[in-house]
Amino acid sequence: MPRAVSRRTLLMTSDTFIQIRDIHKSYGGVHALSGVSMDIARGEVHALCGENGAGKSTLIKILSGSVTPDRGDVLVNGAAMRLGDVRASEAAGIAVIHQESVAFGHLSTFDNIYVGREPKKLGGLLLDRAAMRSQTRALLQRLGEADAFDPVRPVSELSVAQRQMVGMARALSQDCRLLVMDEPTASLSERETRVLFNLIRQFRKDGVAVLYVSHRLDEIFELSDRVTVFRDGKHVSTEPIAGMTKEKLIHCMVGRELLATDQETSFSRRVHPARPSDVPLLQLKNLTRAGVFQNVSFEVRAGEIVGMAGLVGAGRSEVARVIFGADPADAGQVFIAGEPLGGNSIDQAMRRGIAMVPEDRQHLGLVLPMSVGTNLTLPILRRLTRFGLTSSKRERQEVEKLIKALGVKAASPAVPAETLSGGNQQKLVIGKWLATRPRVLILDEPTRGVDVGAKAEVHKLIRQLAEEGMATLLISSDLPEVLAMSDRILVMRAGMISGEISREEATQEKVLSLAIPASSSPGAEVAA
Amino acid sequence: MTDASDDTLAAPRRRFLENGFLFWHEFVLVALLAGLLIYAARVEPVFTRTKTQLNLSTHIWELAILALPMTLIIITSGIDLSVGSTMALCAVVLGMSFRAGTPIALACVFAAITGLGCGVLNGIFIACVRVHPLIVTLATLSAYRGLAEGISHGEAISRFPPAFTQISGNLAGLPIPGLLFALFALVTAIALGKTPTGRAIYAMGFNETACRFSGIATNKIKLILYTLAGLAASLTAILFAARRNTANAAVGDGMELDVITAVVLGGTSIFGGRGRVIGTILGVLLIHETREFVSWHWQNDVLIQVVVGVLLILSVLLNTLLTPRGRE
Repeated sequence: MPRAVSRRTLLMTSDTFIQIRDIHKSYGGVHALSGVSMDIARGEVHALCGENGAGKSTLIKILSGSVTPDRGDVLVNGAAMRLGDVRASEAAGIAVIHQESVAFGHLSTFDNIYVGREPKKLGGLLLDRAAMRSQTRALLQRLGEADAFDPVRPVSELSVAQRQMVGMARALSQDCRLLVMDEPTASLSERETRVLFNLIRQFRKDGVAVLYVSHRLDEIFELSDRVTVFRDGKHVSTEPIAGMTKEKLIHCMVGRELLATDQETSFSRRVHPARPSDVPLLQLKNLTRAGVFQNVSFEVRAGEIVGMAGLVGAGRSEVARVIFGADPADAGQVFIAGEPLGGNSIDQAMRRGIAMVPEDRQHLGLVLPMSVGTNLTLPILRRLTRFGLTSSKRERQEVEKLIKALGVKAASPAVPAETLSGGNQQKLVIGKWLATRPRVLILDEPTRGVDVGAKAEVHKLIRQLAEEGMATLLISSDLPEVLAMSDRILVMRAGMISGEISREEATQEKVLSLAIPASSSPGAEVAA
Repeated sequence: MTDASDDTLAAPRRRFLENGFLFWHEFVLVALLAGLLIYAARVEPVFTRTKTQLNLSTHIWELAILALPMTLIIITSGIDLSVGSTMALCAVVLGMSFRAGTPIALACVFAAITGLGCGVLNGIFIACVRVHPLIVTLATLSAYRGLAEGISHGEAISRFPPAFTQISGNLAGLPIPGLLFALFALVTAIALGKTPTGRAIYAMGFNETACRFSGIATNKIKLILYTLAGLAASLTAILFAARRNTANAAVGDGMELDVITAVVLGGTSIFGGRGRVIGTILGVLLIHETREFVSWHWQNDVLIQVVVGVLLILSVLLNTLLTPRGRE
């Protein structure tokens, strides 16, 4: 491909559009970005890679003006941009397109494109809807999508790909100079991805800079001119794609020296691994939920911690929800201690000894305005009830026991759960499920948003439960956590189990290569 | 660790202000009620006599009985606008079947079944079809009333047997509807405060999904509550027919607004999660006394509406000021 090569040589001479200088941002003591610098040039597709939590999304939010960094500068054409101001970012020509990039699902395409800066008539009294409509049509034509959909229909009726088109049309209408795309192809079909790539190339030809965030390495090699890798909020490298290989890129993302320290210190593996007994307490046979995940089969034995890794959206939480009876399965079966689970309700799952600590602790896990005690006993009130009446004495005893066992730090069991820190809230969710005395414990992102100290305590608790014979399914996007905690690791990709790795063979590279979509023709793309 | 110590520091202050005295709203209602009665005793001494009060109390019981299930429903962050219309339909069924020669006891059973059916229908649409309760009961508010008018052709049925009209009379010097209400109020208060279902009702009002994820059969509870509201409406229809010795399609007109006003005035949060039976009882009492006093003193029905409206706004303001913050 001589054209691509010549583009890349041109880049060296082309000028820089945006300079990001020493950006720092921390959330409550956790450093999301610590001193990140990078440049993005006009007419280049600049890929940004890194694991979950590397700081990519924080950088995007800073560029879009929705988050103010603690310090650092962003220079646009050499002049400092006002940070933390969405209007300033828009004025600088920065447009961000998320997976769900359109804000107002119930409004039409043209409403979404012009929201906040609608063309007016009658001296600004009325919206000039006719102008909006015709300009929208012209924009869609420029994107080559004029016939694809009706701009009058509410955006919620459009496909994800079409919604991205709306986002790109909005970007185009704003005369955007930097297009930021966050995982744009996560839910696109192959054909839609092709259309999107052509559009991105067209933007590049018009001199627009594109910052392209993706987990899909093949896409990065196909599309981008340069690639930058972040790890743990730090800039690791920026290189022309020509000098990059897939192995090198994964290595940059994972960081070998980091891996080593992790295992030595905070995530020390269990010294005496529990010996898994022969009874599979939880067993899935070809479990399928149409359009979400297919033919998922695995088993978890008593005393075993099975990790489940995969990218966001691979279907891990969805599998957990079906096991727990929150969603129905379309095919396949769940067995508990060899017997079919039977029925499909949370109540049934609870009776059979399944407990789930859900991913979204604020909405699914806790009733935040209610007290610590109330939250802890919510699933077990029936057990504390005699002749229809709940015994407040027994309830109090149970609550005290749980608070002590879990080390929940609360002024009293009567304070609302929402006043507790994230880590203590998470302990509440785990505690309320331990109170049900489960045999199978599903943990979905149990340490997300939890500070380091509480994280170690949660890990200790999980190990202790496994020693006592709990069958644990640990879903986590935190790779070091999965590696350190699990006896076996299942990896999910696009709704399927893409592989199983034993603890001995498990490395971040192996897990990632199973989690990231496989290339169709790797040789050609690396050469491209 | 730092956040934990923050919790410990922040909690005592919060608790003193917000959890220290849990009956602020009820306290304010009692104060308002006392103020009203003291004023009334000075300007209208006859009004506050026990005999007058007992006579006037015949008007209160239907409102009071309906307010109990409504309290539970509003705590789950639902609403039932159809109670007045359900009353009308039950009253018409009672009257028409009595006029057709059915024994009055059996006619009462028919009325009860009608109320049950109305409630179950609301419950099914809300719990199973998952339509918003406001929409469902707004629709049945008009549908049940229309049905009542259609069946009765606008006629009123009266001349019920004395054995029936005595239901609204006294037993051992106390009004029978009042005794019924006391019984129901006690059962409701215990159910709300002491049973797993009562706990679930509060929790549902804050976060229904988290309840479902805690294994609580939220749909079953909703179905039961709207069914109870329908049953309560049929009982009040029977009490109304007995008290006024008449049954027609206009029974319970506007009742839903009075009931909701009383419940909200009593401190139940319209957003769900908070509310108590004692508050509802005080809310009913305050509305009742205000109404009766205004109509006694000024003999002005328009003014009643205004005063009740002002009371409602006042109570919502109080509620906002007195309930713990932190749930935006």
